[in-house]
Amino acid sequence: MAAQSQPARLQSGGLIDRARPLEFQFDGRKMTGYAGDTLASALVANGVTLTGRSFKYHRPRGVLTAGSEEPNALVELRGGSRREPNTKATTVELFAGLEARSQNRWPSLTFDALSVNSLFAPLLVAGFYYKTFMWPAAFWEKLYEPLIRKAAGLGRASGLPDPDTYEKAFAFCDVLVIGGGPTGLMAALTACRAGARVILCDEDFGFGGRLLSETFEIAGISGASWVGETVAELAESANVTLMRRTTVFGVYDTGTYGALERVGDHLPTHVPHQPRQRLWKIVAKRAVLAAGAIERPIVFGGNDRPGAVMAAAVRSYVNRYAAVPGRRIAVFTNNDDGWKTVADCAAAGIPVEAVIDPRANLPEGLRNLADRAGATLFAGGRVLDAYGVSSGLQAIDVETAGGSIVTLNADCLAMSGGWNPALALTTHLGSRPVWRPDIHAFVASAPPPGLEVAGAANGSLALAACLAEGAAEGAKAAEAAGFSASMPAIPAVGADPTGMMPLWKVERSRTKAFVDFQNDVTAKDIAISESEGYRSVEHLKRYTALGMATDQGKTANVNALAIMAALTGKSIPETGVTTFRPPYTPVAIAAFAGHHRGKHFRPTRLTPSHLWAAEQGAPFVETGQWLRAQWYPRPGETDWLVSVSREVNATRSGVGVCDVSTLGKIDIMGADAGAFLDRVYINTFSTLAIGKVRYGVMLREDGIVMDDGTTARLADHHYYMSTTTVNAAKVMQHLEFCHQVLWPELDVQLASATEQWAQFAIAGPNARDTLRGLIDPEFDISNEALPYMGATTLTICGGLPARLFRISFSGELAYEIAVPAGYGDGLIRAIMSVGAPFGVTPYGTEALGVMRIEKGHAAGNELNGTITAADLGLGRMMSTKKDYIGRVMAERPGLADPERPRLVGFKPVDRAQRLRAGAHFLPLGAKAVAANDEGFMTSVAFSPSLNHWIGLGYLKNGASRLGERVRAHDPVRGLEFEVEICDPIFIDPKGERLRV
Amino acid sequence: MSDLALKPLSAFRGHLAFTGMSEASGAGVTLEVRDDLAMAIVIARKGRLAALAENVCQTYGIDLPAGPKRVAAGSLAFIGTGPGQFLAVEQGGDALTFASRLAGALGDAASISDQSASRAVLRVSGPRVRGVLAKGLAIDLHPSVFRPGDAALSSIALIGAHLWQLDERPTYEISVFRSLAGSFAEFIWSSAAEYGVTIDNP
Repeated sequence: MAAQSQPARLQSGGLIDRARPLEFQFDGRKMTGYAGDTLASALVANGVTLTGRSFKYHRPRGVLTAGSEEPNALVELRGGSRREPNTKATTVELFAGLEARSQNRWPSLTFDALSVNSLFAPLLVAGFYYKTFMWPAAFWEKLYEPLIRKAAGLGRASGLPDPDTYEKAFAFCDVLVIGGGPTGLMAALTACRAGARVILCDEDFGFGGRLLSETFEIAGISGASWVGETVAELAESANVTLMRRTTVFGVYDTGTYGALERVGDHLPTHVPHQPRQRLWKIVAKRAVLAAGAIERPIVFGGNDRPGAVMAAAVRSYVNRYAAVPGRRIAVFTNNDDGWKTVADCAAAGIPVEAVIDPRANLPEGLRNLADRAGATLFAGGRVLDAYGVSSGLQAIDVETAGGSIVTLNADCLAMSGGWNPALALTTHLGSRPVWRPDIHAFVASAPPPGLEVAGAANGSLALAACLAEGAAEGAKAAEAAGFSASMPAIPAVGADPTGMMPLWKVERSRTKAFVDFQNDVTAKDIAISESEGYRSVEHLKRYTALGMATDQGKTANVNALAIMAALTGKSIPETGVTTFRPPYTPVAIAAFAGHHRGKHFRPTRLTPSHLWAAEQGAPFVETGQWLRAQWYPRPGETDWLVSVSREVNATRSGVGVCDVSTLGKIDIMGADAGAFLDRVYINTFSTLAIGKVRYGVMLREDGIVMDDGTTARLADHHYYMSTTTVNAAKVMQHLEFCHQVLWPELDVQLASATEQWAQFAIAGPNARDTLRGLIDPEFDISNEALPYMGATTLTICGGLPARLFRISFSGELAYEIAVPAGYGDGLIRAIMSVGAPFGVTPYGTEALGVMRIEKGHAAGNELNGTITAADLGLGRMMSTKKDYIGRVMAERPGLADPERPRLVGFKPVDRAQRLRAGAHFLPLGAKAVAANDEGFMTSVAFSPSLNHWIGLGYLKNGASRLGERVRAHDPVRGLEFEVEICDPIFIDPKGERLRV
Repeated sequence: MSDLALKPLSAFRGHLAFTGMSEASGAGVTLEVRDDLAMAIVIARKGRLAALAENVCQTYGIDLPAGPKRVAAGSLAFIGTGPGQFLAVEQGGDALTFASRLAGALGDAASISDQSASRAVLRVSGPRVRGVLAKGLAIDLHPSVFRPGDAALSSIALIGAHLWQLDERPTYEISVFRSLAGSFAEFIWSSAAEYGVTIDNP
């Protein structure tokens, strides 16, 4: 019954599982195939010849090949958010319920409105777009491009988020074998027996390569049986990893290979927790490329007609899938290999109408074969044109050796123009292939280091040579990886003649002859390209789009070169070579992303008080990888500014607490720690007393400010540095560089302590009283014992070690208290508890920012990589008594120019006006042009203390212009307003609150 | 003050509540949170590596490793992290005093930085552990390459990680910065879910 529904399925044979029929749909039509089918073979078995429309001319197209080089049979697979356009039917493993649709046709596949493009074909030749749509330029965006986009392109993206997961993984091996055909299997077997760790990859779902599609016997058993035995031995070996459905798509530096494993593409439904695809980075000591070869079409009129199929693909369909691509087959081959199609079709009982071979003198054996098959032989003949309807081929015109033209009926034309070694991977690191005149094909010249090419990929097309080369290269690779390998017995195989006579393009064809099927490039386009002067391969490619489709011209490029060579009278190698780029076949971007998408784009760092802050309902802001509480809304507060202003007021009038653990913290230890700091900071630290903190600024080598922060001296040989959150890692790296490279002679030891300490700022007039409730009673934290800029170690809450610093970013009486990070959650709860009587209020990054702007402290907005210490108003901190990094370069005239923009404060003249960061300053009345630019606003905040907006910014000569007015010009938001220049310290300019 | 006595919070708190485990649950990977490890960075002072090695050998009976190796005696281990630099790891001891105890024992041959709270450590084992780690770690863990006692500083799924192998089962301990424990747990979960995950001390 199933056979009835599959009219073109042979009654027996093939490597399909007839016990497992699979229902599927193509363009809504229900069909049946078998496990072991590809979508293409199932379509062939169901008599479907037309699978899609071509890119440019919307020509009817059918299956051309049986592999990943397929340029024609591109379909949309699945539906909804899983809809995937441009899937090669030849590589899609059939599964139950598969739904596929043809592409690039409207309203239907058999009647396609845009196939009228074919009627205008004379207009649509190479360069058409460049010439026609050039002007008027304004039409391009509005008219031409949308039109072209609508007409061209293949398939439709789903437009929905991809519901599947993808993974990235790393693998390591001694010998990577790329390709699991006869060559690769022998290579893997030899390396495996030597004890090497072997990874064998094949893009197919079954190992065996051409052995699955040919009728070879190996060592007296069928090729498929030999494959079975060999794979079984490999599978049993613990040192071998077999990776089916895995395409090695790229070669990268130092033995690294990119591979895509299609984990779930062949499954009807998503398996929970399994990725759809896995992107492998394989690091291999050695690699053997056994990727086989790709058969090339012959360029003649109508060679793209559905039913014109590669000769080896016909054998794949007949032998591997028991599916017959035609009822009356003609074979057009210039080589011995193509004759296997004659033999195999005849053996399968498929009538072979004719064999057309341009070679006039054919060996006796081939002539007898044609006789036995009952085929008319046209030795020295050529197929001029193929004709038919959109559903397929009906007839061919053959030019005989004598020059007469004979028309034959055929619904399938098997063509073979010879074989191109699949050398794409060998060119990924830049090497260019070389022409081998004896096989009329390019082979690899200098493969990437560590990779050797074997078998058909190396131009050794006969089976015996594949087996022998595979074994030899497998042994060589294992030896090179440090193993002792011995050559296995090479199994005996029959003769496999590879004679051929090049035939690239048939002259005197009357109809369109295709070179690049996927991009619709014809022989005529190449002639036009040549006649217009685009003769270099690179120009040819760009002028005609040849080889620029997703198949990278696997079936097209060499034919195109040969045609160009004939046009220019040069040899093929003189004409040029084509190289390939990764990936060998398309890879979904999602596979490169793996798990790192959405909120997992990069890791997230959580602060010690995160759990508590989340309980308070705080919104979080990303600062680098960190999530920090932005503010802590109270019930009823709906506007962030209300919450933030409340937090500022509460801190300035009572006490506030903020998690500042994200600031970088570095233990700097050793006898020379002070001297070391003197060299990295612009100011002096070696003189800092134990128990004191100092603010420091460090410069880059070029004199620009790198970072700022405070450093405390906790012991004679122990300093504790803090950095800004954003520069924590960079400063650590800088210090390590300085120590390891610049001054290895110093006795300095560095350790990052950022994650060790949970650190909270407790600020406000009641800060000390709040702290007192935490600090163990034996420690004195009075103003006398621990004055402003003091530091000490003590214990809190009954013996927990802590570090206490009397430093202030808010401008209030403030401390920062640090405990081992695990206790951070407990500490914030304890602070809230002991501070309750004082009205302790947690504040987030927004209030932190408001208070630092009110105090004129520079932060990330100000330290923007163009600023000097003098620009910040810290010129006097720059020591003249010592050398330090950046000192010399900071003295360059441009950086020392007294007229440079200086950090100053700004108030809106109209106090109700909101300020905007990024606004540029212009003199009053001056035109808003770059020449009049005097600087820009870096930070703004609404100051609840002053009840109006305030800003910080850099202004030319700013320090000497206090009280002046300038215009703040904000073209981004279309705003313009006057501001008054003021001191950047808006609150408590004398710092009296710090010292109470 | 006893009412204020603070208790440490595990960095993995709230991050290991995996839900929707696959059918294979329990089969592939076993996790154990190691909140019982005290840690400190030990760096030899200038020109004092030999003295430090001597001290460590005499005090703890441990030969300091010369490379990325873990050498243990009893509950204490030293792991090489760089030239003259080590991570000292003590199991079950008082984390709050570990650094000062080390400093007392090693004298002025080394500088010591307390790191007990800075790292979140997971012990991972089980039949599929190598397969899980291969999804994020660019280091070859094959038994012919990476053995018990070997250690590596690397990154796992963009997260800086310090890893060492304890035994041939194999069992590894992986240490990441404390703040990244959640992201690290997410990596383990998303990579191990298809094999099943068991948590020894949830």
